Amino acid sequence: MGDLVVLLKPALNPEMIRGTGEGLVDFDYMPLKLSDIDRNAVEEAVRLKNTYFKDSKIWSISVVTWGPVTKRDKDVRMAVQEGLAKGVDEAIIVADDSGVPGDPVTTASAIVAAIKKFNISPTLILGGEATIDGFSGQVTGRVAAKLDLPYISFARKIDIVDGSRIRAERDVEDYVDVVEAPLPAVVSVTREINAPRPPTLIQIRMASKKPQHVVKFNDLADVVKPKRRLVEARVLAVKRKQIIVEGKTPEEIADKLIDALISEGAIRV
Amino acid sequence: MTAIVVGEKEDDIAEALTVARQAGDVAVLAFGDSSPQALAEYGHKVYHLTASDPESVFTALRKLYDDLKPLLVVAPTTKNLKDALSRLAGIYDIPMATEVYDVKVGQGSVSYRRGFLSGRAIESDEAPMPAVLLLAAHKNPKASKAGQKAEVVELQTAQGRVKSVERMPKQKGGTNIEAAEIIVSAGRGFRSKEDLKLAFDLADVLGAQIGCSRPIAADLKWLSEDHWVGLSGHKVAPKLYIAIGISGAPQHLAGITDAKLVVAINNDKSAPIFKNCDYGVVADLYQFVPLLTKRLKERLKR
Ligand SMILES: Cc1cc2nc3c(=O)[nH]c(=O)nc-3n(C[C@H](O)[C@H](O)[C@H](O)COP(=O)(O)OP(=O)(O)OC[C@H]3O[C@@H](n4cnc5c(N)ncnc54)[C@H](O)[C@@H]3O)c2cc1C
Ligand SMILES: Nc1ncnc2c1ncn2[C@@H]1O[C@H](COP(=O)(O)O)[C@@H](O)[C@H]1O
Repeated sequence: MGDLVVLLKPALNPEMIRGTGEGLVDFDYMPLKLSDIDRNAVEEAVRLKNTYFKDSKIWSISVVTWGPVTKRDKDVRMAVQEGLAKGVDEAIIVADDSGVPGDPVTTASAIVAAIKKFNISPTLILGGEATIDGFSGQVTGRVAAKLDLPYISFARKIDIVDGSRIRAERDVEDYVDVVEAPLPAVVSVTREINAPRPPTLIQIRMASKKPQHVVKFNDLADVVKPKRRLVEARVLAVKRKQIIVEGKTPEEIADKLIDALISEGAIRV
Repeated sequence: MTAIVVGEKEDDIAEALTVARQAGDVAVLAFGDSSPQALAEYGHKVYHLTASDPESVFTALRKLYDDLKPLLVVAPTTKNLKDALSRLAGIYDIPMATEVYDVKVGQGSVSYRRGFLSGRAIESDEAPMPAVLLLAAHKNPKASKAGQKAEVVELQTAQGRVKSVERMPKQKGGTNIEAAEIIVSAGRGFRSKEDLKLAFDLADVLGAQIGCSRPIAADLKWLSEDHWVGLSGHKVAPKLYIAIGISGAPQHLAGITDAKLVVAINNDKSAPIFKNCDYGVVADLYQFVPLLTKRLKERLKR
């Protein structure tokens, strides 16, 4: 039986957005964090290992897509550490300044190259349905195609049948499709697949002892350089009044709110 | 120069055609429930595939791509097409972007804009062609039909590795939240499905539609997914949006940037929604919402 691989993106944290004087996204200021749905992917990898693949090892692969990589090192380590604490056994970090700002073309080729470099023979590769920064939902599909593996996207439930096939519920707009595919396979999971538990203190302490490998593009074969050029990223300024309606009694607040809605023309009496 | 448009619904395909025609000749890959004869009236050759699963669409598209060597592949942004088209983009290491608009085809490259950072920013990109573009909904005008009907070619479905065992259709609530004028939207602040009645009562007096955050529809399934507002749900543009028991995560806010007026009711005064609303009430929804409904009833005389 092969190993499990989970794809963990250290993503820009949109909650910490800030603009420069010109209204552009201030990338230098914005910290990275583990992309939310990748947390569901690790949780699921750990569950599948415990249920079906006890002897397998869980690898994580993270490609740094925001630079300069030296400045991002601490955030990246924190994100990877979270995976290790939750049950990843060994982590690979691909960090190369020629890969930033990231392009899914580059990310997918780096992931595939890392799998080959470390002689991983995956039984299952798990990622998130989309990231919190790029929100494109394409890296997992690219990885599947490049490795010529079956791809199951938007899985909200996964089971392994007879140790050789995956059965999953694909959650798309109009229906849920129950599908089956032979292993090895690549899967993207939705936010609803599980409820990630925070790692315990002991798990966090153990995590720092687990192996982590940092590699550059030159250590890998066939990494495709970014093709897309990010011309500009502008903060979306939505101006809201931010008025807190106050009053002595809830009735007074309700009336003041109704008055405001009437004077705004939002409701008519 | 050629482009391939991929899609299932006629409206989506008509929007994609407007973008694809910038590149020159267009071929259409229509799948699933689409009506190839109606699509042929747009004047472009239609390849029709009865199957609609992403693997079959990918396999058919790949063959067509190899034959036509297009500069652009244009499609609507749907989950199945993200699946199918990311595989094509992966095979050939070509750029792909989702939910794009303002697409401009230049010499050897294409530029576009799209939401970024969970909707908190807008990015402008330039990508070399060939490229794969999945369009944002309703941001491109629909192409007009041509005088002449084009040829239709039926494609065979190849046997894939991902097999569908069972398909379970989703419940539809029958709302068209994107067109709603007033929306009362419910979040995790509600403790049970039954309690949503408070939101329904308020919506009744206001003549509003009901919206919700992702967990209410996707996780708890208290409401059908046509109520789901946000980055991965519906983008709404009402004149009044009342967010009740919604914290205001960037992914929720991404769905309401076009709302004229946002009202928030939340018992946590530090909830991010208060920085992203016009009028905020710091209160327990269980006390405040029934009261607001009652006062509105009295004052609107309904
Ligand atoms: C890639 C991605 C895409 C996503 N897409 C979407 C999307 O499209 N739409 C979406 O909504 N979310 C989306 N999410 C999820 C999003 O990040 C939030 O988790 C979600 O919006 C939270 O929903 P909520 O505000 O209802 O719940 P919570 O964040 O749990 O907030 C509940 C709020 O209710 C308040 N509350 C509790 N009790 C009361 C009471 N008695 N009275 C008043 N207030 C009370 C609390 O103070 C709290 O602020 C996405 C996430 C990711 C990672
Ligand atoms: N830079 C990255 N490093 C590791 N995994 C990634 C990276 N980017 C994307 N992924 C994986 O691919 C999924 C989809 O990402 P995206 O296509 O960027 O929306 C994420 O949830 C991750 O599991």
